[in-house]
Amino acid sequence: MNIFRFEFLKLSRKSRGWLGPILVFVLIMIAYPLTVEVSNLELGQSFFSVLWIATLLVMMLATEDIFLEDYNDGSLEQLSISDGNLSFVIAVKIFIYWMLIGIPISIIGFLFCIGITNSSQNSIYVLPIILVASYIFINVFSFGNALSLTKGSVLGTLVTLPLLLPLLIVLGKVIVAINFGLNYFGFLLLLLGILSIIIFIVPMIISYIIRAHLE
Amino acid sequence: MNQIVKAKNLSYKINEKKLFQNISFDLNKGEAIHIQGENGSGKTTLLRIICGLTKPSKGDLDISTDAKITFLGHKNALKQYLTIEDNLSLLNLIHHPNLDQFLQKFGLDGCLDLNLASLSFGQQKKIALLRIFLNDSNLLIMDEPCVGLDNQTQNYLSNFINDELKLGKSVLFSSHIDLDINSDKLNLS
Repeated sequence: MNIFRFEFLKLSRKSRGWLGPILVFVLIMIAYPLTVEVSNLELGQSFFSVLWIATLLVMMLATEDIFLEDYNDGSLEQLSISDGNLSFVIAVKIFIYWMLIGIPISIIGFLFCIGITNSSQNSIYVLPIILVASYIFINVFSFGNALSLTKGSVLGTLVTLPLLLPLLIVLGKVIVAINFGLNYFGFLLLLLGILSIIIFIVPMIISYIIRAHLE
Repeated sequence: MNQIVKAKNLSYKINEKKLFQNISFDLNKGEAIHIQGENGSGKTTLLRIICGLTKPSKGDLDISTDAKITFLGHKNALKQYLTIEDNLSLLNLIHHPNLDQFLQKFGLDGCLDLNLASLSFGQQKKIALLRIFLNDSNLLIMDEPCVGLDNQTQNYLSNFINDELKLGKSVLFSSHIDLDINSDKLNLS
């Protein structure tokens, strides 16, 4: 439990780390209806594209220095030497980032979804999708940032962004499924399936990458 | 078993440049080794190899299975934006029964709610050194522990390490300053 407490303490005290991405997300959500001159119906239709891309960008922004600070100040060295499981610590770190950034933006996205689409029923279906998608995004971008830990985050993002394109396509299909009452739960299970694999594999791979960087 | 570390013919090279070659030593319980050498001779690399952070290019290294390492490297592993109290929490030292004694010794008692960034480099080093002073390990590894420390704290550290050696702990350290520690010398240059 200490690991959870420590990682929560580190991120929560660094308000720039969690509040910044949330504010960027809110700004995008506010700016979207203000910057396009279309009917309410068209606004609602294209809202989801903006929602997924905003979530993607904000998660990219949020994980920019997820490991860099611990690498620079020697915390990762200490974790690597200690008896603790490094991949577990990484999984906890990613979870805390999702908890402090992913969950709030999912709720904010859900509220904007109600406001813009005027459909609380469809918006309720969207909420679990954003929650799962944001967790997947955080995991994948963390992997990218670990890859380019000493080379700047842009390189890692460029490598991992194409990996998320299929997921964006699935997210687009989910909205079609919601609108037409098709197999929504099938898509949700698919995303949960992807997530259940990723949350175990990504921290393990990242721990190997970090050990290689420390060497 | 008395032996904690056994190194045999350790070598390390970076891009074909040999940093050190065929270094062998044994470190037993209650013993200390002072690693000496010029800048760039590989002192830090050797300590990192023993910690398991870096792999040697050649040679064998046996670390006793019951060895528990506490490492103090160049980097303090402290968070500048957190208070001293939060940093001590992260180091798992905040509830240590001897913490107050050391904070008082270093003149840091009553400063727990200060941000680490407001402390001087030497004071931050003292906070990092608490990891050594409040250790629950049997192998202490320190890389230039005296950088930024005043003479009084250096002497205190030397005395502390000598006491730890009497308790059967083992110590490996590199330092350009000649500390008054009962240690064997290992020269890398």
